[in-house]
Amino acid sequence: MIKVNIGKCTGCRRCETTCAFFHTGKVNHHLSRIKVLNLYETGIDGPIVCVQCQERYCLRCPVEALSIGAMGQVIASPTVCTFCGYCEESCPIGAIEIFDVIVYVCDLCGGKPKCVEACTEKAIVFDENGERPSLADIREETKKMNPSQKRQFYLNKLGMEVRKQWRKQIA
Amino acid sequence: MLKYGYGGRILKIDLAERKFKIEKTDPQWIKSVIGGRAANTKRLFEKLKLDCDPLSHKNLLIFAVGPLTGSLLPASAYYTVTAKSPLTGILGDSAAGGQFAAEMKQTGFDQIIITGKSDRLIYLMVTDSGVEFIECPELAGKNIVQTTQIIRNQQKNYSVQVAAIGPAGENLVLFSTIVSSGNRVNGRTGMGAVMGSKNLKALAVHGSKSVEFADTLGFLEEVKKIEQDILNHNEYRKRYNMGTTMLMKDLNRIGILPTNHFQKGVCDYVDEVSGQNLASTYKVKNKACFNCNLHCSRYYVVDNFEAEGPEFETLCGFTSRIGNRDLPFALEMNEYLNQMGLDSISTCEVIGWIMECQERGLIHSNDLDDFSIAWGEKDKIKELVKMITFRQGIGNKLAEGTTKLSQNFSEEARKLVMQVKGLDIICGDPRGIKGYGLTYAIASRGGDHLRAEPFFELTNRKQEAKKRFGTEKAADRLAEEGKAALVCYSEKIALLTDCLTMCKNIGLCMDILNFEKASKLLKTATGIDYSPEYLQNILGDAIDLDFKLNRRFGMRREDDALPGRFQNEPLKEGPTKGSTIDIQRMVDEYYEIHGWKR
Repeated sequence: MIKVNIGKCTGCRRCETTCAFFHTGKVNHHLSRIKVLNLYETGIDGPIVCVQCQERYCLRCPVEALSIGAMGQVIASPTVCTFCGYCEESCPIGAIEIFDVIVYVCDLCGGKPKCVEACTEKAIVFDENGERPSLADIREETKKMNPSQKRQFYLNKLGMEVRKQWRKQIA
Repeated sequence: MLKYGYGGRILKIDLAERKFKIEKTDPQWIKSVIGGRAANTKRLFEKLKLDCDPLSHKNLLIFAVGPLTGSLLPASAYYTVTAKSPLTGILGDSAAGGQFAAEMKQTGFDQIIITGKSDRLIYLMVTDSGVEFIECPELAGKNIVQTTQIIRNQQKNYSVQVAAIGPAGENLVLFSTIVSSGNRVNGRTGMGAVMGSKNLKALAVHGSKSVEFADTLGFLEEVKKIEQDILNHNEYRKRYNMGTTMLMKDLNRIGILPTNHFQKGVCDYVDEVSGQNLASTYKVKNKACFNCNLHCSRYYVVDNFEAEGPEFETLCGFTSRIGNRDLPFALEMNEYLNQMGLDSISTCEVIGWIMECQERGLIHSNDLDDFSIAWGEKDKIKELVKMITFRQGIGNKLAEGTTKLSQNFSEEARKLVMQVKGLDIICGDPRGIKGYGLTYAIASRGGDHLRAEPFFELTNRKQEAKKRFGTEKAADRLAEEGKAALVCYSEKIALLTDCLTMCKNIGLCMDILNFEKASKLLKTATGIDYSPEYLQNILGDAIDLDFKLNRRFGMRREDDALPGRFQNEPLKEGPTKGSTIDIQRMVDEYYEIHGWKR
């Protein structure tokens, strides 16, 4: 899975740009499977990407269009998918989203993620055997939000820890 | 039909009627100016009633991006805002990086032209399909970060980027700014006041259109080369660590760090206020503009305040230029100015000018409602800045800018205003960087370095200087020879970065962009044949147009000048000791190269 160290992120969005470009030949954050938010009120920047959560809420897809690949990545079948939006609604952190009849979720680029190569700050790394987190608590809090709001909520939560570190750092 | 690189559409907004119109970008028209700043100047020239009051509904406010903005190119993150300047009465424009430009690019609009005046405070929500006019009484008096947060919450979308004015813009301070990405500033020439005069609190953008390339793999190849040029650059680490604040010590070392309002070029407490000290004591992380691999911006935290930045101009402006040796205070001011929407250069000039005039007895406290201030008096600096922001008391006069304020005082006091064409000059003493001196004098928006940024004169690359500009002296900062040729070259590269758009620190200061590389980037991105020669020609035309426009605004040859201090008073100490600048001769030479008549 892709692991993110928010404290190192500068908010450049190279991961996001690169993801869209290498999948589609275009630049557009809607076409990216990793999405960066810049939260100016706290100085926190960071990418949100599928964390391969323990619960796999998205797999409860009503038409079973989603499955899990060998590296734990979510695979969306373009022929089975009806774009009902269930996966988008069920992901607690906004890491899967439908845009223009395509499901965007991290596919790990076949094992060599382009976003990791693009990050000069090592804020994102590829960890094949990383521990899968539980998003059960987050899900309770983000149930009624849209994907963008969920990403903001999740990043804010991660950012609080980073901000505590900053205080220690300057003390 | 523009399919690649460009968005291909122009958005025209009438605030009075609350109507908008979407037009196709004319391929021939845009090809003649590339995009960005040159596109804005041409639009202003064609559409503005030149004699209009800059703060009336007649003024235009134009936002533009370029064919490479928001692309895979590192730091293709800039947008330019253009209008007739309320501070100077001539061409006004200012660029900023961050994340706004890339989002504007995704709306598919190359240019957003705003006319008229709203009867109530509004913000504009611009998306692919056009504009929503949203009344926002709740945003009155809000600072930049608050405004951004409120708009994003209302839109339920955190990809929305916002370019807003703070209280200073609402109060029509003539040097107020537009700020996006929280702390990214369109600082110069009072674009914030123009926005404020239109009752426009913010321009919010969110787009879903893709940036596409004519030759995708070819473009990628060109971009990879530029990425490597940046990563392998010998200043990479230094710029990564400090950004432009590295200039505090660099300029002090050569004796041109403005100290006590340009009375000195050496600051004996520079170590306390240096970029090095800032980075090691208060920086908590690096920040970056859209898609940049240099990450030269920084985020800092001090006890009760935090912000992105500062850049060199603000750091020097609120330390040595006004005699303050307290770094955290300068950081507090950086946050305050960014959030209130004041230009740091013009703000520190008005403060520094009053300090010097009071020291010399040219302004008495009873001239300023019993206000007096000496070098580095922090509480009073803070008080003044606040009075300017809200136009309270004497702040109301100061908010008109130093040049207008000085009209109420003696000739001796007026001569001490560090300005060209009404725009306060930047932090760099031209007595020791002559190419910069020439740039301040000829810059089409007034006393400013970014029109040419002739960084080359500080590089000591003598052989390269001879090859490029015909004399080794072009790489000697104290020489006047060869500087007109240098400025004529670098003003084109500077304009090119503003048109593509990309970062000037990378394109110009790090010497990474040239006409050949730009030609390949443009050809692969847009599919349009921009040969190096063609680029040079149209950039030359655009510079001629700036000149012509300012002539119509009433500028003359004698306005291309520098304050007398730099010509008559040699610096008394340090490595630039004894130096003055013969600016008239340099301007003459510059005119000659351009073929301009006096």
